[in-house]
Amino acid sequence: MASSSSGLTFKLHPLVILNISDHYTRVKSQLHPPPSAHHCAPAAADPFAPPAPAAADPPRVYGCVIGVQRGRTVEIFNSFELLYDPATHSLDRAFLDKKQELYKKVFPNFYVLGWYSTGSDAEESDMHIHKALMDINESPVYVLLNPSINHAQKDLPVTIYESELHVIDGIPQLIFVRASYTIETVEAERISVDHVAHLKPSDGGTAATQLAAHLTGIHSAIKMLNSRVRVLHHYLLAMQKGEIPCENSLLRQVSSLLRRLPAIESGKFQDDFLMEYNDTLLITYLAMLTNCSSTMNELIDKFNTAYDRHSRRGGRTPFV
Amino acid sequence: MGSIENLVTQIQGLSGSIDDIAHLHNILKVADESLHAEPSALSSVLDQVDPAKHSLGYLYFLEAFTSGPVSKEQALTLIPILARFINCCDAQQIRFAPDKFVSVCKRFKDHVLLIESPLRGVSPMRAAVRKLQTTSEHLTTLHPDFLLLCLLSKSYNIGLSVLEDDIFDVDQPRDLFLYCYYGGMICIGQKRFRKALELLHNVVTAPMNAINAIAVEAYKKYILVSLIHYGQFSTSLPKYASSAAQRNLKNFCQPYIELATTYSSGKIAEFKIYVDTNREKYDNDKNLGLVKQVVSSMYKHNIQRLTQTYLTLSLQDIANTVQLGSPKEAEMHVLQMIQDGEIFATINQKDGMVRFLEDPEQYKTCQMIEHIDSSIQRIMTLSRKLNAMDELMSYDPLYLSKVRTCFEILRQVTVVSEGFVSSGWEGATEIRL
Repeated sequence: MASSSSGLTFKLHPLVILNISDHYTRVKSQLHPPPSAHHCAPAAADPFAPPAPAAADPPRVYGCVIGVQRGRTVEIFNSFELLYDPATHSLDRAFLDKKQELYKKVFPNFYVLGWYSTGSDAEESDMHIHKALMDINESPVYVLLNPSINHAQKDLPVTIYESELHVIDGIPQLIFVRASYTIETVEAERISVDHVAHLKPSDGGTAATQLAAHLTGIHSAIKMLNSRVRVLHHYLLAMQKGEIPCENSLLRQVSSLLRRLPAIESGKFQDDFLMEYNDTLLITYLAMLTNCSSTMNELIDKFNTAYDRHSRRGGRTPFV
Repeated sequence: MGSIENLVTQIQGLSGSIDDIAHLHNILKVADESLHAEPSALSSVLDQVDPAKHSLGYLYFLEAFTSGPVSKEQALTLIPILARFINCCDAQQIRFAPDKFVSVCKRFKDHVLLIESPLRGVSPMRAAVRKLQTTSEHLTTLHPDFLLLCLLSKSYNIGLSVLEDDIFDVDQPRDLFLYCYYGGMICIGQKRFRKALELLHNVVTAPMNAINAIAVEAYKKYILVSLIHYGQFSTSLPKYASSAAQRNLKNFCQPYIELATTYSSGKIAEFKIYVDTNREKYDNDKNLGLVKQVVSSMYKHNIQRLTQTYLTLSLQDIANTVQLGSPKEAEMHVLQMIQDGEIFATINQKDGMVRFLEDPEQYKTCQMIEHIDSSIQRIMTLSRKLNAMDELMSYDPLYLSKVRTCFEILRQVTVVSEGFVSSGWEGATEIRL
């Protein structure tokens, strides 16, 4: 796919991504009821969790995206679902109009900017729907979410396509071209997305699992930081050895990053930091002591059950 | 004679790999009798065999050679040979015949004591202990002998270094008594009273069928050290002490228990009178030095009690309350205690006032982090060991059989009660499990 040349900047809000994935997961779990109860619950909460094993082709879901277009910036705020009629290969128009009216009442600024679907790549039939929407918006956008999980891939599996008129074999045709986008969040959105991302299934109520989940999150964040730092380090080493040509702009960025650490360096900070560190260590120590005492207790119970003679008071099996 | 020559060649030949040594061991076991028959003939043979490479063979020869009583002169010549052997023998080969090694070392210790220079024996014995141990947590039969030599030669530091290791494995449980007793004495010598209490406590509460002289002596020292360190002593032994100990120990240690009760009254003059009247008894047990330390510790504990009541106090008042002679003496005592870290205070010499402070430890230094970290590491190893023991216990057939019978009984009762319930018996609701 060629890349877009329209010069529009796209900004995507995370709510849209969550909506699409939620829609997809719901439809999928309704079509293929999962073998066990706790398979669908995590999938519903976590947008990028692996889907339940699907026997048939994963279903495609469709919907509309709405947002604001100011000048050259297209900001996609929200989305809603639409029913797809496979007979006519088009979306339910009446429903779309009604929904649009309702949304207009609440958000007068929002316009229908385009539509979304799920799948791994844009298909020919999508152009149909795209053209149908062109009477609402002259140049709609097509947001595509790839629901298959690829652990090697680090970015979001969301792509935005625009339509452009290209001359192919002498015939002017509308084709999809990829457009780059950025994720834009408002503070409130960030909090709620964070909350949803950390939502755990039904038995997440106990403190132990919540603590474990929290610590796992921190651990993976630190791990990612560590791997990124290592990559940078490796790169700089290679540059030093001369294997890679020196790139001054990158070096400048690295140097500015280094100059930003450490954030605080004062006596009082050191004191407080060490005190808190010591407190945590002491609590770990206490936890270990409790753990050991409980193991010891169990061991002694077992010992008493196994080797207990009739005299329980003050008697162990003597060994002298 | 010819058989000995044969043996020598075999030893020299078969000291290579582990299988060879095992084979050699069998041969030596068979030949042991003949070796013991002619001990004097072995002195020439000892030169032909190298103690470092052919340790096992050398060990057998040496053991046969040194069996039987020796005089002082003989002991003098034997000691260097034995010391050299212990220092350079190969640990792996030695472990094939641990009892022979133990008897050789014990004889070494006896010789060293015979010529009355225990210091010569300390270093070789320490090497012997390390070589016999499979891991550093293993208590061998040589440990008490080593500690005895340390005590007699007053080289407490070396003894302490061996005492620092925690013990998890024991060869012979009865070694534990002497080991802990001597260990306790060494710790008292180094003024490490807390560790001494731990070790003596082990002796006193160890399982025993009948009362043990070592336990009695240990109990006496235990009372004294507990008074020095904690300032109090409770006469009731913990529940896990053996019934023999709980019933009989007190009868043997009557003077000491009365000492403890007089101490708890807090009156120094009375206490000193009591000590003087029973001086002889303490002297006989060789505990007089410890008793004197108890007396001086009384002042310390009284001053420490003062820190809990007063914020500031004049030196004169301290002297009066603690029944010291003069404010000067009180100042000396307080100064000594501040230096030892037993109390936190500042002395204002102009007014003659002492101001008691809180523990200034803020827990914000890096040393504290290291300290806590090392404690956490220790407890992690301990926890691992406990878990391993717990698992081992769960496989124990005795335990499983007992648990199974309990489970069977429970199941039977449940079945019976269900039967009652389903038959609609009115009383069923009360026995619902």
